[in-house]
Amino acid sequence: MEDIKETFYHTVAPLDFGYNYRVGTYLQRYIDALKDKKILGAKCPQCGKVVVPPRKYCGACNKVREEYVELSQEGTLENYTVGHITLEKGQVNQAESPYIVGMIKLGGADNLLVGKVAGVSPQEVKTGMRLKAVWKDQTEGEYSDLDHFEPV
Amino acid sequence: MRNVGIIGIGYTPVFVSKRKEVNIPEMISEAVDAGFQNTGLTPADIDAMVFGNMHTFEGVNLPHLWAAEHIRSLGKPVMRIATGGTTGMAAFHAGYYHVASGMADVVMVVTYEKHSEGDAQVGLMGIITPEVMTMLAAGIDVTGGSGMGAIGGGSAGGISFQASSYLYHSGAGIEHIDEQAALERRNAAKNPYAHLKDPEATAEKIAQTPLVSWPIRFGHICPTTDGATVCILASEEKAAKLADKVAWVLSVANCASDATTANLIESQITDPAEHLPAIIASKQAYERAGIVDPKKEIDYVEIYNGFAHQTLMYLEKIGMCEVGEAHKLQEAGELEMNGRCPVNASGGVVSTNSIGTSALNRVTEAALQVLGQAGEHQVEKDVHTALAHGWGGLMQYVTITILGDKPKKA
Repeated sequence: MEDIKETFYHTVAPLDFGYNYRVGTYLQRYIDALKDKKILGAKCPQCGKVVVPPRKYCGACNKVREEYVELSQEGTLENYTVGHITLEKGQVNQAESPYIVGMIKLGGADNLLVGKVAGVSPQEVKTGMRLKAVWKDQTEGEYSDLDHFEPV
Repeated sequence: MRNVGIIGIGYTPVFVSKRKEVNIPEMISEAVDAGFQNTGLTPADIDAMVFGNMHTFEGVNLPHLWAAEHIRSLGKPVMRIATGGTTGMAAFHAGYYHVASGMADVVMVVTYEKHSEGDAQVGLMGIITPEVMTMLAAGIDVTGGSGMGAIGGGSAGGISFQASSYLYHSGAGIEHIDEQAALERRNAAKNPYAHLKDPEATAEKIAQTPLVSWPIRFGHICPTTDGATVCILASEEKAAKLADKVAWVLSVANCASDATTANLIESQITDPAEHLPAIIASKQAYERAGIVDPKKEIDYVEIYNGFAHQTLMYLEKIGMCEVGEAHKLQEAGELEMNGRCPVNASGGVVSTNSIGTSALNRVTEAALQVLGQAGEHQVEKDVHTALAHGWGGLMQYVTITILGDKPKKA
């Protein structure tokens, strides 16, 4: 096959696309509670279902959630995946070792919270396992304060 | 509403990783030319155009205007549609609305993607970045390796929870995902417009590819493809004058749920594989087409499967079989080209993914089966009705199109 002559024009737009998203009222409450090692949800005044982290609207009822509730630090693993790669700052790399990310139903919540699961191997992890929250010693009021979940 | 039919299809000559000898508008023009050649129409016959491609993938914000001369749209109404993975079928639906409403008699739908000239990962981040808030709302720490990396990276990571849930609820195993990928790559080998073709593909070969985010491995994932597709729609009256054979649109439907990265939370739905939009859209499409039992009345299905488990999962969602049954149909050989429930004889998205075209190709491939013009990948059974499915948006948007060999009775 004949070689195709390729001429590229590689363009880089010299724009700094930094964004500053405000977390808003509901997530601010959630983050503030993390500093105190508490997990907050918000309750719908109509159906009574609690979502974590708190969100303003209950879509099913079309109601504004106004009540915040503290959730149990223990829950059930409802779904999980095992990551074999990482994605950081746009770079895909092989993970140092496979790691578990779970979707966890905390006591008192009606939806699932996503979190890292440690203290159990990817071979042994099972849907339905009971897990508990493990916090950083020094909390800062950040998502990373809630470090991971581990088997009860 | 007027009856609308597909009177022409045009593909680029090939769908491959890198079209080196043409630029973006030149590549698109190849599909437009093919559409005209296959129908004998000229630009003067086209009343309006709908254009679709993925936002941000090539960094071109107004490609439909950029490529105006190449798509022969000068002086015509042009509408651009971008709804993520579903773009191609959303554009098709917009074309359908034009004709069904009586606003136009003949509409050309043009879709493309030239992945090799952009960066799909950056493009996806451009879609995901505004979703930082949604990730925070799901409780995900977005600040580092335990952020997006925690869900395995990119849409493959995001989809892993869906696949995990599908396996849990259906009783299928990862080996069924391996086999589905292999089956479709074997089908692709018979489709001249497919990208990843492997006539010798086996589940064992797919199983040797590395895991990305369990249960999704490299061999389950679609490629990035360069290609363009055109589809020409006409009213019943015009179709009678312009075409010998027509694939008739019996119904269209689409449905969205709330915006969620990775489909983690649909408001209070806790199962990422529940996928209510697929259930709602397919029900609406059946009702509109007058279909009572899709298992008996739909002869052929094209599923949008960026990831191989989705063929099996969506067959269940759209009611082509019961929950937990799709992998058993696969084991029995019923999903193959000579089976009773043939699906993705084209090779599916898992074999070919120039993303703007991907959901339109589900329609055009279903149309080719109805028309009996699929050539080497024509399925064995007679196809009187076919269903095309699209999946995309922020993972929670579904489009459905049902085609038939006869126009819908008034």
